[in-house]
Amino acid sequence: MTTTQTTDTKIRLDAVRLEYVKEEGRSRHLAVESISLDIRDKEFLVVVGPSGCGKSTLISAIAGFLKPTGGHITMDGREITRPGADRGVVFQEYALLPWKRVIDNVALGLKFKGVPKAERYATARRFLAITNLADAEQKFPHELSGGMKQRAAVARTLANAPEVMLMDEPFAAVDAQTRMTLQEELVRVWEQARLTVLFVTHSVEEAVFLGDRVVVLTPGPGRIKSIVDVSIPRARRNWQEMNQDPEFIRLRDEVLVQVRGQPVAA
Amino acid sequence: MNAGLLTPATERFLKGAAGVLVLVALWQASVPLVGLEPYFYPSPADVWHAFVELMEKGILPVYLVDSLYRYLLGVGLGIVLGIAAGLLIGLSATASRILTPLINFLFAIVEVAWIPIFVIWFGYGFKTILIALVYVVLFPLLYNTLLGVRTVPQVYVNAARSLGATRLQLIKDVILPAALPNIITGLRVGAGFAFRGLIFAEIIAAKTGIGYLIFEGASTQQTARTIVGMIVMGLLWLFLDRCYLKPIERVTIERWGQVTTAEDRE
Ligand SMILES: Nc1ncnc2c1ncn2[C@@H]1O[C@H](COP(=O)(O)OP(=O)(O)OP(=O)(O)O)[C@@H](O)[C@H]1O
Ligand SMILES: [Mg+2]
Repeated sequence: MTTTQTTDTKIRLDAVRLEYVKEEGRSRHLAVESISLDIRDKEFLVVVGPSGCGKSTLISAIAGFLKPTGGHITMDGREITRPGADRGVVFQEYALLPWKRVIDNVALGLKFKGVPKAERYATARRFLAITNLADAEQKFPHELSGGMKQRAAVARTLANAPEVMLMDEPFAAVDAQTRMTLQEELVRVWEQARLTVLFVTHSVEEAVFLGDRVVVLTPGPGRIKSIVDVSIPRARRNWQEMNQDPEFIRLRDEVLVQVRGQPVAA
Repeated sequence: MNAGLLTPATERFLKGAAGVLVLVALWQASVPLVGLEPYFYPSPADVWHAFVELMEKGILPVYLVDSLYRYLLGVGLGIVLGIAAGLLIGLSATASRILTPLINFLFAIVEVAWIPIFVIWFGYGFKTILIALVYVVLFPLLYNTLLGVRTVPQVYVNAARSLGATRLQLIKDVILPAALPNIITGLRVGAGFAFRGLIFAEIIAAKTGIGYLIFEGASTQQTARTIVGMIVMGLLWLFLDRCYLKPIERVTIERWGQVTTAEDRE
């Protein structure tokens, strides 16, 4: 269950324990009991688990918003202590700044880095094109549909060139068709960007469709139940093929059993 | 009603003007019915003559400029100090602990109570009025800025931090804009308070200005002048509201989708 350190480990979780401590009542809520996991460099790792098992909490900890109360989280061997531009986050609620136009949202990280305006707009436009948002660059976030907001959020994270992208159920709030399109787009975009992705979801299908590996968590407080390798080639990762792919169906059912404890007819 | 002939704005203006004309006509008609001395119940014609006289002697323009200058300077300083104090208390726990009791205590002492002591310290005139105005504007700005800062959605802060924002960038690009709707509320409240405060302070502590005109007219039985002062006061507020407060609200809040008024959209 515990993976051993390899040379290409990007982020290492070592017996990580995550608790919400309430200052006044001195009460603690255990969200993640003990997780040890190596996220490999440039892999697409999906964490799947039921609601409340600590997925968002885990993302917060790796992003640096929350300190572990036990164990260590390291990136390239260095302890993570605070948020940083090396770890981009795509939030479930999009978190686009409503007072900035789409292009300014996407260029925000580059602005923080001090990149000149013309240059950061050029980069932002490149990622808006990749995410099919070229026509929306002058809009404000409230003028976008849910799927467009989600793509803008992905574009904003990618434009900042992070080493790791942390995605917290990014497609949970959109309709089924849009979700499938976004998943296919993400596969394509990730192949171009080639960065490490940690993707969190409670959808087993989504997990197997996207991931190189799928980590299944137990119901909260979260622990790792199993890790499933998905070796379906990237070229086959579109819904038309995947829906009939026996390998996909087999792996999906396998993960489903892990998550729910019983097989479900395909 | 007049579809096609008048723009909605012109129509609104004409309707407003009609209301004023009716009021003036009623007033003029009531003068012979009341049948009192002009100093007790002046007619619109008396007021018009007083207005012309004040203009010809150059008194009204000077008073108007004095009042406007005191007002804008006082409000401007109050806004800057109020926002700065609100940010400081909202962002620093230490500053909050030290300043909050003091601020709440001072808030309870209304500016009217300070004016006599300001007069002793700074004499009649500009300084006392300015300080009184700053005092009046400070609190609504401070409290609303504080509220805005404390209610910035955490996800925006997290998003900016993981895009690499420094503390200053976070304040400039996230916290201030997120707090802006509250700050504008403070600005409206403060601007209204300050306007009342200005007239009041000029009555007590000035030898020029619209407030002084109102007070002086009444105490020398030139009641028509008092009424000129009151009308100018009303017009001045309409002017400030139209040319300064409303546009600020429009460009900021409405454009981000917090408020959407169909008729004001571009
Ligand atoms: N700010 C918080 N304070 C206290 N407890 C919290 C807080 N946030 C989450 N929790 C608790 O921690 C546990 C894990 O929450 P978390 O949000 O990480 O779950 P999740 O796996 O992301 O669930 P979902 O799939 O519904 O998003 C839950 O029991 C939750 O109630
Ligand atoms: Mg969650």
